[in-house]
Amino acid sequence: MAVRKVLIANRGEIAVRIQRSCRDIGIETVAVYSDADRNALHVRYANQAFPLGGNTPAESYLRGDLIIQIAKQSGADAIHPGFGFLAENGKFANDVIAAGLQFIGPSASAMATMGDKLAARAAMIKAGVPVVPGSLEAVANADEARKQADEMGYPVMLKASAGGGGKGIRVVHAADEIESAFKTASGEAQSAFGDGRMYIEKFIVKPRHIEIQILADRHGNVVHFGERECSIQRRHQKLIEEAPSVVIDQDTREAMGNAAVEAARAVNYESAGTVEFLWSRGKFYFLEMNTRIQVEHGITEEVYNVDLIAQMIKVAGGEKVDHLAGRHPRGHAIEVRLNAEDPENNFMPSLGVVDNLRWPGGPGVRIDSGVYPSMEVTPYYDSMLAKLIAYGSNRQEARRRMLRMLQELHVGGVKTSAGIALNVLQSEEFIEGNYDTGFLERYMEEERHHGIGEEAPDDLEEIAAIVVAMHRQRAGKRRAVSSGEGVADSWVSAARREQHSRGN
Amino acid sequence: MKYFIESKSGRTFEVEVTELGGEAMSVTIDGREISADFIDVDRRGQYAAVLDWRSFAASIEETDEQHLAVNIAGESFMMTAFDERERAAQAVAGQGPPKAELIKASMPGLIISISVAVGDELSAEASVAVLEAMKMQNEVCCQGGGVVVEVLVAVGDNVDANQPLVRLAPPEES
Repeated sequence: MAVRKVLIANRGEIAVRIQRSCRDIGIETVAVYSDADRNALHVRYANQAFPLGGNTPAESYLRGDLIIQIAKQSGADAIHPGFGFLAENGKFANDVIAAGLQFIGPSASAMATMGDKLAARAAMIKAGVPVVPGSLEAVANADEARKQADEMGYPVMLKASAGGGGKGIRVVHAADEIESAFKTASGEAQSAFGDGRMYIEKFIVKPRHIEIQILADRHGNVVHFGERECSIQRRHQKLIEEAPSVVIDQDTREAMGNAAVEAARAVNYESAGTVEFLWSRGKFYFLEMNTRIQVEHGITEEVYNVDLIAQMIKVAGGEKVDHLAGRHPRGHAIEVRLNAEDPENNFMPSLGVVDNLRWPGGPGVRIDSGVYPSMEVTPYYDSMLAKLIAYGSNRQEARRRMLRMLQELHVGGVKTSAGIALNVLQSEEFIEGNYDTGFLERYMEEERHHGIGEEAPDDLEEIAAIVVAMHRQRAGKRRAVSSGEGVADSWVSAARREQHSRGN
Repeated sequence: MKYFIESKSGRTFEVEVTELGGEAMSVTIDGREISADFIDVDRRGQYAAVLDWRSFAASIEETDEQHLAVNIAGESFMMTAFDERERAAQAVAGQGPPKAELIKASMPGLIISISVAVGDELSAEASVAVLEAMKMQNEVCCQGGGVVVEVLVAVGDNVDANQPLVRLAPPEES
């Protein structure tokens, strides 16, 4: 039965993104919000809005029972979970269905298999999808981990079986690091997922992170929309993504696409999903499947001219996806994640009130955002403020557009990832497309010695110094004027402005 | 007024600004004169600057009068700026003994672990604790280092932004 009204069980940028697709296909939206999000855009853009109370996720967006109750009360016939929060919670998906509503996403059993990295590896091996060599069962403790790692040879990856989003993962380079890595990663996984089980994989040296977008309906059709290159990341948090990847030719795209389709079939997948691969020297290995829409889905939408959110809703209403098969990427898209964080201070989250917000515009510009002027960035939620997406007819055009976007952009009040992204996009490695998942950390390590801003035109720092001096002079004068020490000759300034405009 | 400006990358600039009446100013940087037209767009730190006929959109955020962040065309610069009087005062104040360091939480969060105890000697940028906030576990590090004299929080504590965590005495001269 076709979906008519969707409750969006999320907040911020992704909630707004889902609302936009709903509007585009004529579907009503219901928002839910925490106390901290009363003023948020996703509340203001919705047709209906209901409070969840509280501030922390546990007090608000993780309250599945309350959200289902609100969905029924509001007359919604489906729930879109977005990403994070309840998106990969099988119990929630089952509860939604048991309440007589559509869950816009895969089945709980597909989530369970793919959400448990060990079960997923077993299913992929059975389906003939290549996986990274490593343990097939959970390792009991740090000692056991060290034994297996010693046999495998360092470096190795310690991974939480329940992990995702970069939590509960550590690279271990030598035996003496494994105990503390095991403890912190396992502790992180226990606190984030309530499951501290860990396993070990061989560390693939200098891999690229390349993922395939798939879409499946409930009639057995699975299609793929090619790859996204997501190797510009730090501590498994992606910063810049692009589609297509410079290292993937059409044959490899089809091979990886088919592997991803097989992976989805192996768990009877329905809805949009992403199969992540490690790619190294022409070979690819299954890493994990994310059973939800992903942050970076927008670049795929741009190069495949498809609205994945709208397709998810249509699939949940029983529509087929076979007419979308066999498409090829057109042009190039680059995404930069605008996070409230401080790259000069180890990417620590930066809290504050957003001020002086200036968005870029013009051709090829897409902004998926949940930010507004005077919004408070709180410690309760993820630090991602917005996604900037540049589209061009080729990679060079997309890259130049993103540079222009980052130059036009201004976000005051909090520190953001925009500056480091601007520098990375101008690096030789990025321009040549010659990078791997270790690139950003190496780049930051080098940057530490001379500071961000090194790649600006040589005299931009000098310009900044002049601006600072003039700003201080003005501020000092304003104080003097307000305390009655001087009087501004307004006609002089007016005359000077006039002269200036003629001179231009 | 003359300003002494230092960027985070370590470059220093001497900028002299002379009032010509009204909003007009003449500017020299390191002795070189440039034409400057400098308009405060919205009184919120947004400036339209034309310097030697090159145009810049600049944004300034002040931590305080002397510590400022400048954003021009997407590039950020952290600057310290002292005028002549402040510099003279600073020269006098700067002659004391090295200062003790107080390590603070950079944001509200939960203390997951503490890796130092009273008496530990820390090198620069050493990790002292792990703070969980915004779903991520972040290491809290000292800056200059020193000897731990006091640990002010315990594992499991919820801390506020800028709450002191660990106090260091200056490293011993060897």
